[in-house]
Amino acid sequence: MSWRRFPDQLAVSTHMQLTGTTRELGLLLGFTILFPIGILFFLNVLIVPALRVQVLIGTIMMETALLNVNVLAQAIGGDKQTKLFDLFVSLPISPAVYALSIALSILPFSLASAVVTLGVAIVAFHVVITPFTLAALVGGFVLVWGSTLGVGFLIGVLGRSPRQINSMAQLVGILLTFFVPVFYPASILPLPLRVVAYGWPLTWGAQFLVAVVNGPASTLAISGAVLVGFVVAWFALIGSGIRWRER
Amino acid sequence: MEPLGSRTAPVPTDGRVLTVRGLSKTYSGRTGRKVANDSIDLDVSAGEIVALLGPNGAGKTTFLRQVAGQLLPTAGSIEVAGVDMVRSPRRAKEFLSVIPQECEPRSDLTTEEHLRYFARLKGETRGSIAATVERLLTETGLAEHRGKLVRELSGGLRRRVLLAVALSGPSTRLLLLDEPTTGVDPEGRRSVWRLIDALRARRIGILLTTHYIEEAEYLADRVAIINGGRLVAGGTVEEIRATLPFRGRLEIRGLDHLTPSARVLVGELESKYRVSVRLGNAERLEIVDPFRPEVVQELAHLTTEGVRATLSPVSLEDAYLAMVGAEAGELP
Repeated sequence: MSWRRFPDQLAVSTHMQLTGTTRELGLLLGFTILFPIGILFFLNVLIVPALRVQVLIGTIMMETALLNVNVLAQAIGGDKQTKLFDLFVSLPISPAVYALSIALSILPFSLASAVVTLGVAIVAFHVVITPFTLAALVGGFVLVWGSTLGVGFLIGVLGRSPRQINSMAQLVGILLTFFVPVFYPASILPLPLRVVAYGWPLTWGAQFLVAVVNGPASTLAISGAVLVGFVVAWFALIGSGIRWRER
Repeated sequence: MEPLGSRTAPVPTDGRVLTVRGLSKTYSGRTGRKVANDSIDLDVSAGEIVALLGPNGAGKTTFLRQVAGQLLPTAGSIEVAGVDMVRSPRRAKEFLSVIPQECEPRSDLTTEEHLRYFARLKGETRGSIAATVERLLTETGLAEHRGKLVRELSGGLRRRVLLAVALSGPSTRLLLLDEPTTGVDPEGRRSVWRLIDALRARRIGILLTTHYIEEAEYLADRVAIINGGRLVAGGTVEEIRATLPFRGRLEIRGLDHLTPSARVLVGELESKYRVSVRLGNAERLEIVDPFRPEVVQELAHLTTEGVRATLSPVSLEDAYLAMVGAEAGELP
């Protein structure tokens, strides 16, 4: 296959994934809209007003990451169950086309979720977002999306059965929810846990988005660079065909 | 109408669309080394149907998955339309289509959407896609189901959708079908057979695995029998049948309802001829020459004694059972 066909194949595959996804909309909409708003209201009761921006950003991050990890991994798990995964592997396409098309088909829902969450935060909790902040938030959101999709892909291709993939995705979801500092600053963690937390793209993403709103510029630059690094690394890993063709 | 798969694919001058040499696959695990495929050689020519037969766990699917580029071989070479599958998998995959075992099309897409999307992924251009989809829908008998979601279709129709998907690439020269009719009712199975058989004229080489001996007899130009990871026989159905040291079989049923005199008669035949299969209240005897008058007379005696017995020439199933072990099969 020529890499010239990559954009065309990506567009076709994404359209296919999106067509299928929109026919199973109910659960996805519940997950993307109700879940983040629920978290936002729940945490707002517990959190001091000074941390509202952190909670807002944490909610968007968590939602994006959970969708990427769960939906991508489970979509691959579903394809493995129906053996469509084998059919995709036998097509003259790059594994990146397959993985990215599933992730892109989820992106509109993550984006919609982020917009709704942001809207609720502005209207109900009076969080102030300037046009510049909004633009930077969108950029940061895309980086977070890109830096977490590899996790879902890896779980999907490494899992031997749909059941195993499901369990692994749930486990990672729990780890993300409770152990990654997105609803609170990483600085409050003890040093050993902070080191572990910085191994996750999500921690950098939260730091990046908080810096978009509150600064400083140096944190913004470092976090952004690390996120770009994660995106490049994931794409390199997926493109290399890890476990695409079994050994 | 332009035949499918005839446009751009290179076919080696010797007509072979698949050449496999010394293909081996071994797995190392906690329980030791397991050989799934052992030095297999196999060719498929354009327009030829080759059936791969073998018991469960014989290595058929492992073989097919390696040819399809889903599994890396431990040793050996695979060429699809002259392109090395191990070194240039993405290029080689342009010339093959696969229907994996127990594969199900996407339940949330329609028949037409399947064809449209997969044909594009396999290299069909935007300009030709509409005509290609129409042609595939007509040729696979799916035109009236074009707008239906796959979950609304029967098992046989879903198989047809997968076959249509497999035929959708502009360069397809080799079709790999892993148990294409498993789980399909007899009527649906025959309609899939007719569809596969019709592909012969399009010069697409087909390699299929099956557990149904009659499927291999109906469809295959050549049969390869695989057991324990090794190719134990290969050739036309007639050539494989000719490897047996006997030409006919005497099948006796109702062994638990024999009269005393019939029991004596059957006992005499059992001591005279080798019993190849005995299951339940039926058995099968190997007859070296079923056309000898003596054999016909013995059959007449059995019938006179009220024994349900039939004399028939050896089948592919007899040869298969002789090669892979009688425990693998059952009397029909």
